[in-house]
Amino acid sequence: MTCRDHDVLLSLRAAGALDAAESVRVEAHLAGCAACRAEADALAAALGLARLPPVSDAERRVLGELPERTLAALRRSSRRRSLGKRFAAVFAAAAAAAALVLAPAVLRKDPGAPAGEAEVAWEAPDLDGIWNDTAVIDLESSVAAGEDEADAVLAALDN
Amino acid sequence: MDDAHDKGQRPNLRVVAGGASPASGQAAGDRAADEALLAAFLVGDDDAFGELVRRYERLVVSIVRRYTRTPEDARDLAQRTFLRAFVAARRTLGRDPQGAFPFRRWLVRVAVNLAKNHLRNELRFDRAGASLRALGPAEAPPVGADQLLRAERAARLRAEVLRLPRRQREVLTLRIDAELPFAEIAEVLGITENAAKVTFHHGSRRLREALGREETP
Repeated sequence: MTCRDHDVLLSLRAAGALDAAESVRVEAHLAGCAACRAEADALAAALGLARLPPVSDAERRVLGELPERTLAALRRSSRRRSLGKRFAAVFAAAAAAAALVLAPAVLRKDPGAPAGEAEVAWEAPDLDGIWNDTAVIDLESSVAAGEDEADAVLAALDN
Repeated sequence: MDDAHDKGQRPNLRVVAGGASPASGQAAGDRAADEALLAAFLVGDDDAFGELVRRYERLVVSIVRRYTRTPEDARDLAQRTFLRAFVAARRTLGRDPQGAFPFRRWLVRVAVNLAKNHLRNELRFDRAGASLRALGPAEAPPVGADQLLRAERAARLRAEVLRLPRRQREVLTLRIDAELPFAEIAEVLGITENAAKVTFHHGSRRLREALGREETP
């Protein structure tokens, strides 16, 4: 095998990722090839310098808070989600009630309208339609809450 | 819900084997344990959540550490990683409670993506990449000329890692920071194991060349 055939294996060797058979093959090649030995040393040096230092005590102290903070953030987000759902339900009910009260006034003929304008006959609101609309509002807000959940969770991080 | 947790008490954590570097990929037993903990969490067991975080915090932190300026940043990025993975798990298992959710794989993928986004934000106002050297955990203060020189070269080379093409950077850091086996790196990134190894080789060769340029006056 040529030096070129060992290219990838030398990188894997520097990462400590060779299996036993590969290791035997690579070491046999390195024993007789000074150029590849130099390349292997250079790769090991580069990866050694690129590695991060071990976790310091200061880091460990800060990172030790991770489970509790994550759990607290999740609880905050769950509370927000449940409040949001309740708000959406109340809003939908209020919108339905407002539609029932305001629909006759809105649909009644405007007394100041110019003569000649076609008269619009008042029609009773379609209660089924209003009900369906509010149901859609409620459904949509639930779906949106699901899709935006990740953002809500992230927003909870700031509190 | 029990308010005890909100008052800063630690969740009751059971000891479960696990860590940043399993022998090869994720063992079936570990995956089953993850699924049991996820199922418990989804029915309201917050301690199961705490246990999953404890189980994988080392792995997640090892992935995001290189991209942050301070330990607090690393902790926050790790926290975001867990929250996103949990939201995804809740959504997936909420739709299909009998389904499987590869939690560890998701976690690694989310950590890699959030780290990438974090890096992008760091570079948004710094086209020259001068701030790259400020990223990553601080070294112990060097003592003597040799250590000073080594610290200087290490800082330059770590900045070089962040300049690698995305895939090379991902594979290289998942190997040297998270110490994942190539089979698992391949699984997480959706490539073959052989492609992961070759990509790693290209990344390490770039670093070796950067080191060579530095040493050549």
